Amino acid sequence: MSPELWDLPAEEIARWVAAREVSAVEVTDAALERTARVEPLIGAYLEIFQQEARIRAAEVDRRVAAGESLALAGVPVALKDNLSLTGHALTCASRILSGYTAPYTATAVERLLAAGAVVIGRCNMDEFAMGSSCESSAYQLTRNPWDLATVPGGSSGGPAAAVAAGSVPLSLGSDTGGSVRQPAALCGVVGVKPTYGRVSRYGLVAFASSTDQIGPLARTVRDAALGLSVIAGPDPNDSTCAGRPVDDYLGGIERGIEGLRVGVLREVDVESLGGASAANWRESLARLEAAGARIVDVSVPSLGASIAVYYVICTAEASANLARFDGVRYGYRASADNLTDLYFDSRSEGFGPEVKRRIMLGTFALSSGYYEAYYGRARGVLEKMRRELGVALEAADVLVTPTAPGAAFGIGEKMDDPLAMYLSDIFTTPANLTGLPGVAVPSGLDDRGLPLSLQVMGRMFDEATVFRVARAFEREVAWTASPAFRGAQAG
Amino acid sequence: MALTIEEVRKIANLARLRFSPEDERKLAGQLARIVDYIDQLQSYETVADAVAGSPAPEAPEAKDKARECLPREVFLANVPASLDGFLVVPEVKGPADVS
Repeated sequence: MSPELWDLPAEEIARWVAAREVSAVEVTDAALERTARVEPLIGAYLEIFQQEARIRAAEVDRRVAAGESLALAGVPVALKDNLSLTGHALTCASRILSGYTAPYTATAVERLLAAGAVVIGRCNMDEFAMGSSCESSAYQLTRNPWDLATVPGGSSGGPAAAVAAGSVPLSLGSDTGGSVRQPAALCGVVGVKPTYGRVSRYGLVAFASSTDQIGPLARTVRDAALGLSVIAGPDPNDSTCAGRPVDDYLGGIERGIEGLRVGVLREVDVESLGGASAANWRESLARLEAAGARIVDVSVPSLGASIAVYYVICTAEASANLARFDGVRYGYRASADNLTDLYFDSRSEGFGPEVKRRIMLGTFALSSGYYEAYYGRARGVLEKMRRELGVALEAADVLVTPTAPGAAFGIGEKMDDPLAMYLSDIFTTPANLTGLPGVAVPSGLDDRGLPLSLQVMGRMFDEATVFRVARAFEREVAWTASPAFRGAQAG
Repeated sequence: MALTIEEVRKIANLARLRFSPEDERKLAGQLARIVDYIDQLQSYETVADAVAGSPAPEAPEAKDKARECLPREVFLANVPASLDGFLVVPEVKGPADVS
């Protein structure tokens, strides 16, 4: 079989397997072989399901032979380790969940399996999805396949690195403030944050319930659209999941963007990012115009408050959601001789520094005497931002920004400065806070040869237009670059 | 905004967390810097009738009906300590200063 089987897009793999030109077992073997080659360099996985993946692949081959039509027949996928898969460990890259086994499967994962996907393993992440570099994992460091001295981004750093390195063509992450789009940007792949309520959160460990969404990562816009079309849709197990049917994302994806209005936010000071990022941004707008789009100027005055709003609302929700980890019902339990000490010691020993910092910040924002000044104020500014973005999206069909302020940064570079790390998500948090869909798509390389990325945001539930713009942009960029694993020889 | 060590301890107590004196000092500095950044919210316009909750405009109303929950043995498989089908915890007593 072709040695490049691991490099095929998900769409093509599914077509070949469905036509029985290649078996799901062969595809899985190719993915496992590729993973064995790259994993020692990048450390994307917390666990690889070597044997089970082959068994599942054989089942997919039997289903295909029996005449089942499967949208992801034999497609190898990887899961961020905050997504439940029955009978498998689920850690959120935290010590506090060590020893925990998922008792049920997340709806999004269930849908991947029903569509014929084969899960290769569970991927590393920032602890409880809190971080922008994957460095807050309690278990291991994940390296960026483009340059092993740099971070893959976060929190879905493992799923992004796995896709970029060719281990799998499709993975699932979760995006609370940019956690799919920012690592996708830093690893040179496509990442999707769907509209809030488009994908069921059932089986996703909660961080901030009002902004969490599961989203796909892939090497092409078409594969990302295919992945979302499989996992999206109503689910009675999630009361925040929308009831509306899922659009046909691939149906109109090649239609082009002639005459489409692409909004540029006046408040985004891209020039301040400096050299390569600013030049790439100007080039990206020129490419959108070359594809037929009309660039329009829009204004969202409250945009600059998004990181501040995010770090009040999401830490407040996190402090409540993570109260359940107390050493009583699951995971890590400290040795203590009374229940109060058990709570304090299990949490203090089980959570890492970044998670504790955010729990502290959220508890502060919700505490008596500060609630109105912080939480109340943040909700008021957020509502203003939501209305302003609504007006902007009447003047424009989509909005664009850079996905991240720059390319991948060095391992350890921002670990001692939490605020600098938080600002990595400056362009991505508005979509989470207001529920809008956003897609990160590679936009070129910086002067060090590291990927840069464009973010396309759209109206609520209008992923179809967002994908159409991202696909047109991808065609203009003619993205063919692939990771060089720089530093592999020296390291 | 400066955060005192006492304030850090008070918040930590609410969050059921404990820190070493060194970590308390470090955290006081880091949180103060983050809160200073967040204080910019005071300079932005707000909407007075903002409501708390998730932006889920199209979620269908769920019927409130009972259904089976996780079987006891599945739940207990993840419990750090159990005995005869029950979850075991240390005795319920502790420092009186926990609010």
